[in-house]
Amino acid sequence: MPSVLESIAVVAGGRWRRSARRLAGVAARRALRQAGLRPDDVDLLVDAGLYHDRLLGEPALAALIQEDIGANPEDPHPGGHGTFSFDVANGACGMLTGLRVADGFLQAGSIDHALVVASDADPGHGMAPAFPFAPVGAALVCGRRAGTGGIAGFRFATGSPAGPTPTATVAFDGRCNRLTVTRPPGADAAAGALAGEVASGLLAEHDLTPGDLDLVAANPLSAGFLGVLADRLGLPPDRVGRPRDGRPAHTAGLAVALQEAAPGLHLGGRTVLLVSGGAGPTAAAALVLP
Amino acid sequence: MLTEVAPGDERAPHRARIAGVGRTLPPTRLTTAELMRSTRYRTRIDLERLTGIRERRVATEHDSLGLAVGAARDCLARSGRRAADVELLVSCSITKYRDGTVHWLEPTTAAAVAREIGADRAVTFDIANACAGTLTGVLVANNWVRRGEVRCALVVSGERISGLATNAARHVRSIASRELASLTLGDAGGAVLVERAGEGEPGIALAGFTTVAAHSRLCLAAPARREPGARMSTRARAIHRVAIADTPVLLREALDAAGLAVGDVDHVIPHQTSARAIRTGMREVTAALGAAPREPPVVTVDRYGNTASTTHVVALVEELDAGRLRAGDRVALVALASGLEIGFVIFTVDPRLEACRAVRA
Repeated sequence: MPSVLESIAVVAGGRWRRSARRLAGVAARRALRQAGLRPDDVDLLVDAGLYHDRLLGEPALAALIQEDIGANPEDPHPGGHGTFSFDVANGACGMLTGLRVADGFLQAGSIDHALVVASDADPGHGMAPAFPFAPVGAALVCGRRAGTGGIAGFRFATGSPAGPTPTATVAFDGRCNRLTVTRPPGADAAAGALAGEVASGLLAEHDLTPGDLDLVAANPLSAGFLGVLADRLGLPPDRVGRPRDGRPAHTAGLAVALQEAAPGLHLGGRTVLLVSGGAGPTAAAALVLP
Repeated sequence: MLTEVAPGDERAPHRARIAGVGRTLPPTRLTTAELMRSTRYRTRIDLERLTGIRERRVATEHDSLGLAVGAARDCLARSGRRAADVELLVSCSITKYRDGTVHWLEPTTAAAVAREIGADRAVTFDIANACAGTLTGVLVANNWVRRGEVRCALVVSGERISGLATNAARHVRSIASRELASLTLGDAGGAVLVERAGEGEPGIALAGFTTVAAHSRLCLAAPARREPGARMSTRARAIHRVAIADTPVLLREALDAAGLAVGDVDHVIPHQTSARAIRTGMREVTAALGAAPREPPVVTVDRYGNTASTTHVVALVEELDAGRLRAGDRVALVALASGLEIGFVIFTVDPRLEACRAVRA
């Protein structure tokens, strides 16, 4: 029984722009409403965001979001249902990582519904004076259904670290702990090349070619990444996404691209490639079949 | 509670086993007496009597990555596996320090560990779930192995977390301090190899977790504002109360799902926060379930302190090396972590795992 994407929500900036937790919570509530589900229906909540409020290290941000949205927060009791929440971290590939983890439990029949969220915002407290990412939160509701179609497979790879790659570190500068994010020239192109390789491999596993794709949603939405990805897939650049000016979304970028390419997640029987590339370099791809 | 479907279900047709464990213990010891002598204020706290912790290890030469890499290598050596066999590598630590106290958010620690040990074909990512991180990684690895997505997964964690104790020593004034729990922390690395079980091998009977999120704000840790490293605020008594109330209910659910009674469990390895809390908790579980596991709960907190997400692995290695875990013994690992996360991994030691200790002996 394959996993399916049931709904998507993206929340950009607005009055929640200073809190990754709130951005994810608002997106989660919207996605659940669109899927016709109650918070208590969520069996698994995976957060794939990186830049949390105050760069909280413990507990998992997912647990705070679970409480915020009211997904089975109460103490366990006979007949209770329960929600399990935790975080994954894999940079720009985080949302696909969360989706793959959720897909595993859905396919095994351990759960009926999963909520994968991702959000980033300036952590505040003066920790990141030049925070480079836009405040964006996103949520994907996943379920499973009988028959064919849905998420057909994943492919991930970690490449050689020899080339340029983004980094994000927190270190004490003598006065306070500061977040430093670097995005060296050529890093997006290196990630794009690996993402192209991973996506091509995934398509080949399913006897498909890039020409069979109806829709591609890619992250990050930078010209460097999208240009090399399109080149490696042999597709026109406008088929893999539109580069953004200014501060890009980070871990939620894949949902931004998917929402734009298929508003409301109306995939309409299309073959969809979700693909990301980021620090490491690491690349991830998922194939969704009609 | 999220649990796996029963063995034999075609959706997860394989069985997974704990194929190996490994750990890194830094050689430098810090006694509780020494730590309490370093506090800025005269606290009058008898931490050793409160927690049973005599000493903990502190990493002076290792960072989080080094502790994780050391544990991964130890685990592979004990289990006789090569890094090239690893198809999934998950790093689950709270701390992600490299080069001293530089905390790395990107790239992942998992990718760095894979690179260091040569697990070049492994899918890599990090999991963060406070002190339940490693068992959450085992839960995910169990799922991937059971469905046949991978045959061999390595779950690692390196916790260079004693810096929180150093910071707390500057702030704790009394027993009511919310940073008191930080003084229990110690450094260690841990690694668990999860692989497809062979014919007839008992393996993992159950992995299950839930998050009691109504208590998600009882323990919060973040980078310190004016000091290197991080600080943690813990309402330890409240956490203890919730754990005492909720663990028996959930353990009963987990045992029912695995078709087991509490008396079928030989060894319980709880998260190691304090010897007193462990013994009190086990008494409550026994009273609630009407029976006890065959052996008293494993306690290593007296020697190593609370090593965060590595406590279960540190204790597993300790028990294997001491010859106290024998083939056929059933072990219940019990996670309790900020979130509030409560989870269980119940597995049977097989002859190959028992033999893992022979590598070092």
